[in-house]
Amino acid sequence: MTVQTSARESYRPPYQVTNSAETIMRFPFPFPEDIYMYSMNVEPHIRSGPVAAMRNTFDIDEHYVAECAEKARILQEDPKRCIVLPHMREAEWDFVELAMTTLSDQYPQHFSLRREGLDWHWVNRLLGYEQSFVFGDAGTLPLPPFEYMARQMQGDFTLHDQREDDLWMDGGMVTAQADWSLKFDLGMSFRQWHAPVPKAAEMGVFDRGLRFLLMLQHEKPVRRLNWTMTINPRLDTSPENFMVWGADRASVTPENVADKVHLRVELQTLYRLPRSNAILFSIRCYLMPVRDIMRVGKWRKRLHRVLRDLDPALSSYKGLDLYRQTVVDFLAPYDDGAPLSNGIQPDAEQPENVLAPAA
Amino acid sequence: MVERSGYPAVIASVDVLTPTLRKFVLVAQGGRFPAVSAGSHVVLGFGDEARRYKNAYSVVSATPDGRELSVIVRRAPQSRGGSVFLHDKAQDGTPITVLSSANLFPVVKKARRHLLLSAGVGITPFLAHARALETAGADYTLHHFCRPEEKPAFEALLASLPPARIFIHDRPPEDVGMKQRMAEENIATHLYFCGPEGFMNWVEQTAAQIGFAAAKVHSEHFFVPEGGQPFTVVLAGSGQTIEVAGDETLLEALENAGVDAPCMCRGGACGACALEVLDGVPEHRDHVLTEQEKTEGRTILTCVSRARTDTLTLNL
Ligand code: HEM
Ligand code: FES
Repeated sequence: MTVQTSARESYRPPYQVTNSAETIMRFPFPFPEDIYMYSMNVEPHIRSGPVAAMRNTFDIDEHYVAECAEKARILQEDPKRCIVLPHMREAEWDFVELAMTTLSDQYPQHFSLRREGLDWHWVNRLLGYEQSFVFGDAGTLPLPPFEYMARQMQGDFTLHDQREDDLWMDGGMVTAQADWSLKFDLGMSFRQWHAPVPKAAEMGVFDRGLRFLLMLQHEKPVRRLNWTMTINPRLDTSPENFMVWGADRASVTPENVADKVHLRVELQTLYRLPRSNAILFSIRCYLMPVRDIMRVGKWRKRLHRVLRDLDPALSSYKGLDLYRQTVVDFLAPYDDGAPLSNGIQPDAEQPENVLAPAA
Repeated sequence: MVERSGYPAVIASVDVLTPTLRKFVLVAQGGRFPAVSAGSHVVLGFGDEARRYKNAYSVVSATPDGRELSVIVRRAPQSRGGSVFLHDKAQDGTPITVLSSANLFPVVKKARRHLLLSAGVGITPFLAHARALETAGADYTLHHFCRPEEKPAFEALLASLPPARIFIHDRPPEDVGMKQRMAEENIATHLYFCGPEGFMNWVEQTAAQIGFAAAKVHSEHFFVPEGGQPFTVVLAGSGQTIEVAGDETLLEALENAGVDAPCMCRGGACGACALEVLDGVPEHRDHVLTEQEKTEGRTILTCVSRARTDTLTLNL
């Protein structure tokens, strides 16, 4: 993946984010079937998958520098987006080790790590950081270990202590969330932080999900895809900033729908951390405008069918009610009703040009 | 993630602690071991041409640079031979593979005080816990119970910890006022225990009598699976038929037949290896299934349990 080394993009007004053909083709489109409902959609996070975004431990793409810059800005405005409770200190170092070893191993052109016993040397060429430190000694890093590393990665991260047969949200850095808040969820249990979600609890999804995660093993990470929609390429749709972005939901028209409405996909990966026995939850967010999804035949047809037939409870929970019909009406003429293959793979080598480029 | 078939190592030293307990120090070959949290076990792969073993043992210590880790193994003559192999055949330089690690017996990090009770080889997870709690500056006390002739060996193992926190008894818990000591604990204390069945039962019942809240009582019922009568398993999905010999577990027989069967603790403690039974009657030997589930006989934990009938049909 080509990574731009300067942040020309903007995830706030005036918005300026573009996706290359490569980024479109590697997008983790979230619908394996024409109909969507919650399920126990958890699979091993191995280094392969139907699209390229799923083939690395932590995915780095062309938006890396811009997303890290946006994250830094949000943290400056609101330092409480990063909180780690004191009993999670070992988990912080687990995170540093997992991130640095996998990034340097999988992207040697961008990151390198030298380890001599507990003396570590880290280089991040994309952000221009170089740091020698003693692993396990927080005083040798410029920031607390989790914060130091999470700032150098796309996506959000939460840390979970395991006790009383439950998982507790006892730390994290959350700056690109779909309308939930770390400040609010901090210290909550698995069922508590999932309380706002409709239907899934009655379906047994959370009971099974929790039981599965309690037995998650080191070096056997798992992944799942979750999705919602966002107006404008805005990473930070937090409840704290609802005043800033909430009204955008009423701004969608047939004329601007292709550019304003984004499918927001979270590639969620979960890891057992070995030193702390904690669980790391990584939420890697991808924003893809309808205009770009249109460029893959299978995806535009399937998006049309899923949105058209979406359960009203899910539509309402995800906040789609004000504009879902506008998107469905826009997509309908491009869906011939032909059967589509199962799975999320694009079934194409290159994006096609269906719409005229945005003005 | 790197998919690998374990971390190669060799045995670097063997310490004879007592006639039945030996400590093995493993050194990683061409890499480093993954970090382990206190209370973890590792699954070790070892053996010779005649027989390969995969057994789980608590990690008693590990160096922070990932070069070394140690386990203590009790010679269990009635087991399927893994511990006998390690006691009788393993020596410096013997190759051994660390196949996986997991922690089924962590301490509650937020607890204000920890009371650790062990007997015999049940000390192993607490050697790691006591050191971690000491490093963290936590409030804890360890009581260990053993036979009089073993006492010096355990004193030596625990010598680096502050004497005020460590009590080694060569008499059973009821004879040294353990019940009274437990009763005097603060309501915030978390209780952990590990040891042979008789000891486990005593602590469990005593804790219940005193009124310890269930959420503050933690135990590791970890044991080496034993053999039994041979039997046959049929895999409903593939129709495959697999013989389980008297000295191997159902899980081992599945693995030897190339079946990718789930597992974690290999000692009847975690439930990860559960498979659905379609026909036949299981002989349950685990500590996970409820009495009702055991009676229903629809689920079997393959790492320890066997069959009462000649044949078991599994939904696999
Ligand atoms: C430690 C692991 C996990 C964390 C930290 C986590 C966190 C969250 C959060 C913060 C939300 C938003 C709730 C809100 O509206 O405030 C959410 C939603 C949800 N979670 Fe999880 N989750 C985890 C694991 C899982 C698993 C394993 C499953 C299913 C197998 C699952 C299924 C869902 C579903 C279906 C939703 C609703 C999403 C939507 O419709 O947009 N979660 N999760
Ligand atoms: S593997 Fe843990 S109970 Fe069988």
